[in-house]
Amino acid sequence: MTQQITLSGIEKHYGGYHALKGINLDIPKGQFVALVGPSGCGKSTLLRTIAGLETISGGRIEIAGRDVTAVPPRGRDIAMVFQSYALYPHLTVEGNMTYALRLKGLSKAEAKARAAEIAEITGLSALLQRYPRELSGGQRQRVAMGRAIVRDPAAFLFDEPLSNLDAALRVHMRAEIRKLHNRLGATSVYVTHDQIEAMTMADHVVVMRAGVVEQQGAPLELYDRPANQFVAGFIGSPAMNFVPGRVGEDEQSVALDLAGSPVLRFAGRRPSGEAVTVGLRPEHLELGGAGGNSLTLPVALVERTGSASYIVSDTDLMIAATERVADGLGQVTVHIASERVHLFHPTTGVALR
Amino acid sequence: MLAKNLWTRWVLLAVALVMVGFYLFPVYWMYITALKTNTETFQNPPTFWPHDPQFRFAEVWVKYGLDSYIKNSAIIAAGTVALVVILGTGCAYALARVRSVWMDLVLFTVLMMQVLPSSLMITPIFVAYNQVGMMDWPRTGVVLAQAAKVLPLYIVLVRAAFTQIPKELEEAALVDGNSRMGAFLFIAVPLARNGIMVTAILIFMQSLGEYVYARSLITDRALQPATVGLQFLTGPNASDWSGIMTYSAIYVTPILILFVALQRKIVSGLTSGALK
Repeated sequence: MTQQITLSGIEKHYGGYHALKGINLDIPKGQFVALVGPSGCGKSTLLRTIAGLETISGGRIEIAGRDVTAVPPRGRDIAMVFQSYALYPHLTVEGNMTYALRLKGLSKAEAKARAAEIAEITGLSALLQRYPRELSGGQRQRVAMGRAIVRDPAAFLFDEPLSNLDAALRVHMRAEIRKLHNRLGATSVYVTHDQIEAMTMADHVVVMRAGVVEQQGAPLELYDRPANQFVAGFIGSPAMNFVPGRVGEDEQSVALDLAGSPVLRFAGRRPSGEAVTVGLRPEHLELGGAGGNSLTLPVALVERTGSASYIVSDTDLMIAATERVADGLGQVTVHIASERVHLFHPTTGVALR
Repeated sequence: MLAKNLWTRWVLLAVALVMVGFYLFPVYWMYITALKTNTETFQNPPTFWPHDPQFRFAEVWVKYGLDSYIKNSAIIAAGTVALVVILGTGCAYALARVRSVWMDLVLFTVLMMQVLPSSLMITPIFVAYNQVGMMDWPRTGVVLAQAAKVLPLYIVLVRAAFTQIPKELEEAALVDGNSRMGAFLFIAVPLARNGIMVTAILIFMQSLGEYVYARSLITDRALQPATVGLQFLTGPNASDWSGIMTYSAIYVTPILILFVALQRKIVSGLTSGALK
């Protein structure tokens, strides 16, 4: 597959602040890539450098095989959807959608025809003559999308486009954007702080922290084989439990630093006596101790959502159970498969396999 | 509680009415004096409504050559506004968008310039104009001096209008294929147009009433504006008071009508930016 966007060694300094530290990223044509991380990790800055809205302090940006490092935004052939949508308030929906086309030199009639066509796809046909202030949040979001699509650009850039919508609409638009991507097949870079958005929408997820790419790969790859403790804790909801532990003499089991020092087997081998951080996903801790490899934990709190019960132990370990749990539970015994026990280095956080 | 509230409202309303009356009294006096005869003007006790209204508007217009004065006033005011809008809009935009200590310093200096009164500035301006030969184009000279005087006000008010515009809109325009200049002209300026219009109108009115520069720089009567022309109606021996008031009424009425017609826009234009 040809690369549509190639970032090599992107550096960005704001005065004394090092915002991006040597980012390398290859995005194949047609792929939907999510940049995800906590706020301040540099994901939005990275997106803005691709757009050309931020200059970079070092590195090289290629879009569609062309070096655009020094090219201003208008020469990069990209479309961007902003968090605030940034619809032109003095133009109608149609005006917003045809603005870029008119700048490209299309005639008024051509631009209108193209806008009408895209309005059909995005369900905006009835709203073309309205002004942004007369639209609801969801409709504005759609116009922002339409304005990007109508350009038929080399790449779409999304800067947290769903964060201003309410929860129900967000889930709906999430599916809609993904469907639209499947239909148009355009290269997309999507910035979000919501790992669920990243996991559900993207082909390829890039997890960032403090200006560095912590790990990138297919969503389930990140979930199954996190490269370090940060990624393990960031991907998945509720977040992974971490417990200090020490590898036993058989080199295949670890004693947890909990009351009664329970021992869990893990897949692979580690040197005996090594101090580790053990990662256990709440949804991998299954109620019932059958099959060994189990823990017994005192219960401090039970949260019920209807579809799941979250059991919190007195040491703040979380268990996500799909079955309903009775009140007044004193303690629970949970089982975990040995290949689902993650080990991390206690100080560097690197995954140990 | 409710009764007390009602009382406060009535008292406040009464105070407001008295204040408005106080401010508007000169305007009222100008209009009725314009309609009075010269003898009635000096009658004691004064009359608050003319017994025998005189409509001397056409007579005053012709007698004192108001067409030339009003035309010059309009030229000076329009010239000032045009110059200020062209020079000030870009400046206000830059001051709104670039944030640094230096910009704050620039803004402070710009504000300082407004502090200096015209009567103080006129002497150096006169000397400078004399040296560069600017006195051959006195009206242009007044426009330049007046533009320099009102430019700071324009910059400060229009800058406030620009700071209201989200930066993303211009970024969207850049990504959509506009240049930096295009984003400014086709996105930022149309969105700040209310602020620009209101400030331009305020400056137009201010420049229409300009006196100090015009009085000092323009010696040729054919080029003088109405503010300067007004003084020829008073003499050492006799003053045509009702004529002066008729002249003033002709001069001021269009501005008043304009102001009343636009007052809603002017007030909202001035307060937008103050609240967010």
